[in-house]
Amino acid sequence: MAKIVHEFRDPIHVFIRVDTHERKIVDTRPLQRLRYVHQLALSYLVYPGATHRRFEHSLGVMELAGRVFDVVTAPGNLGAEVLKLLPDLANEDARRYWRRAIRVAALCHDIGHLPFSHAAEHELLPEGWDHERLTRELIQSPEMVEIWNSVIPPLRPEHVVKLAVGRKKAKDLEFSPLEELLSEIVVSDAFGVDRVDYLLRDSHHAGVAYGRFDHYRLIDTLRILIPATGEAPTLGVEEGGLLSAEALLLARYYMYSQVYFHPVRVIYDIHLQRFLSEWLPGGQFSTDIEGHLRMTDNEVIAAMFEAARTPGSPGHDSAKRVVERNHFRILWTRNPDDLRKNPDAGRVLSLRAKEQFDAVEHSKKVGGGGTEDFPVLMRDGRVVSSVALSETLEKLPAIASEFVFVAPERQEEASRWIEGKRDEILQEMKEAEE
Amino acid sequence: MKRLRRAAVVTELADRLREAGSWCGETHLQKACYFLQQLLGVPLEYEFILYRYGPFSFELREELVEMRADGLLELRPAPPYGPGILATEASAELRSQFPKTLSRYGEAINYVAGRLGDKWVTDLESLATALYVHEEEKRDSVDSIASRMRELKPRISEEEAESAASELLRMLQQYLPSIEQA
Repeated sequence: MAKIVHEFRDPIHVFIRVDTHERKIVDTRPLQRLRYVHQLALSYLVYPGATHRRFEHSLGVMELAGRVFDVVTAPGNLGAEVLKLLPDLANEDARRYWRRAIRVAALCHDIGHLPFSHAAEHELLPEGWDHERLTRELIQSPEMVEIWNSVIPPLRPEHVVKLAVGRKKAKDLEFSPLEELLSEIVVSDAFGVDRVDYLLRDSHHAGVAYGRFDHYRLIDTLRILIPATGEAPTLGVEEGGLLSAEALLLARYYMYSQVYFHPVRVIYDIHLQRFLSEWLPGGQFSTDIEGHLRMTDNEVIAAMFEAARTPGSPGHDSAKRVVERNHFRILWTRNPDDLRKNPDAGRVLSLRAKEQFDAVEHSKKVGGGGTEDFPVLMRDGRVVSSVALSETLEKLPAIASEFVFVAPERQEEASRWIEGKRDEILQEMKEAEE
Repeated sequence: MKRLRRAAVVTELADRLREAGSWCGETHLQKACYFLQQLLGVPLEYEFILYRYGPFSFELREELVEMRADGLLELRPAPPYGPGILATEASAELRSQFPKTLSRYGEAINYVAGRLGDKWVTDLESLATALYVHEEEKRDSVDSIASRMRELKPRISEEEAESAASELLRMLQQYLPSIEQA
């Protein structure tokens, strides 16, 4: 008898199981392409173990989406008020449909990623495009629609799209309250399983402990709750899961601060972007489905090594910076003292430094925040904001990193210059009124 | 409007909302910015969509996080509800750099803070949804706005929808003529 359940071995979740219908999706070209797209771009040049790919992350997100769905929709975990607002969850056929949809959407949520994942997608795609839009196009492509029609129960492509990319990236679509909630399970900034998997997985492969937390306990205590302010149902936790939720948000804080916003990773991203802008036809990736499916990290790496060896070829200088590890060095780092003098300190300093030294790059990244407030179900049945219960969450800072970089051959001279000019430059308020 | 100028307007609005009695959670600030932009024409340039709690801008959320990171806003607990947002001394320093901007939009900021500052979150959701329906679907009567609100947000009761639609129409009659004169 043919197998109907298939297993993948996984370093984070041990076994990830798919049925035959889901396996058809795993075997499609868009999913298989993710075997050749690094999860953390060029971070392996900083953390040598971080060579894992989007493919195993996508399997992990699917696994977690199914687990969370099962917990939050278990009959004993659903309040009467929630069921009134989300009646589909009381219907067994509808529940089975949405379980399939959320697992498949989680599996497909990253299929639109460009080579090297997040690196510079806004600069390297035409206006109005990002990887989520490519994901939508792929999910709605004839090749995938044939799959959606063949699985049991058949899936509507627009449901897969909504759950895979969420409201933020599908502003033109109308979401039902249930669709909003289910997309929150996949992509929300607080408890989205995308985030849960990448923190655990990236931490494991990078060899840093910051990203670990008790996700078993967290998932077990997730609930669909109506906040104290009476707004729509959303994901929250039982009181017993609050510490695990704190641990998740702290893990995120440390992983962003230490790994995702690591200055050397940031400058490699910039060098890679500069290379791609010169090497790609028209300076941008193709948004055509076949063009997208043909392009992986492998093609880019081969081209980058070739360009680094060939003076005068497009992107030669930037490719050489990456291949020879001769990246730009830090000239200025964001700090409270300079920000007090000028909240736009990094931009202003980088503009002046660029006028002086040319080989200067600026990067500002802000993450996290806006997620520390979620409903908590108390043992006495009240629903209270997490921030009212947790001093840790109340004090959790927004995550920000900002650097000005300069070519290593100009670093000494530029450092002396910035020390002498810093206060004068920071007095400038570049956006001041006319 | 550029980022720092917009930050000056948003932090001023946060101060005015608190003075008007609001604990100024993110929902308050989101809805107040929506009114400031859509009803009073302050060019904040945020993109609002009809989200779970009424009109909402992801771009504004991201900027609020950035303003926190830049030391212009802080969170303050407001038990048992979510955190309140407080403008810092650094934001007052920033605002001092934009006197013309704040003078130009001062009346609009005060009007929005005065009308919305003492409202409960669910009332803000209803009122902002009424404005959304009026703006996006060009509906001008209480019945038409309220019935569409109920289609979009079945959680809002008939009475709440009609009350919000009536209040919106009063605001439009009250404030729009003074804008047109200015």
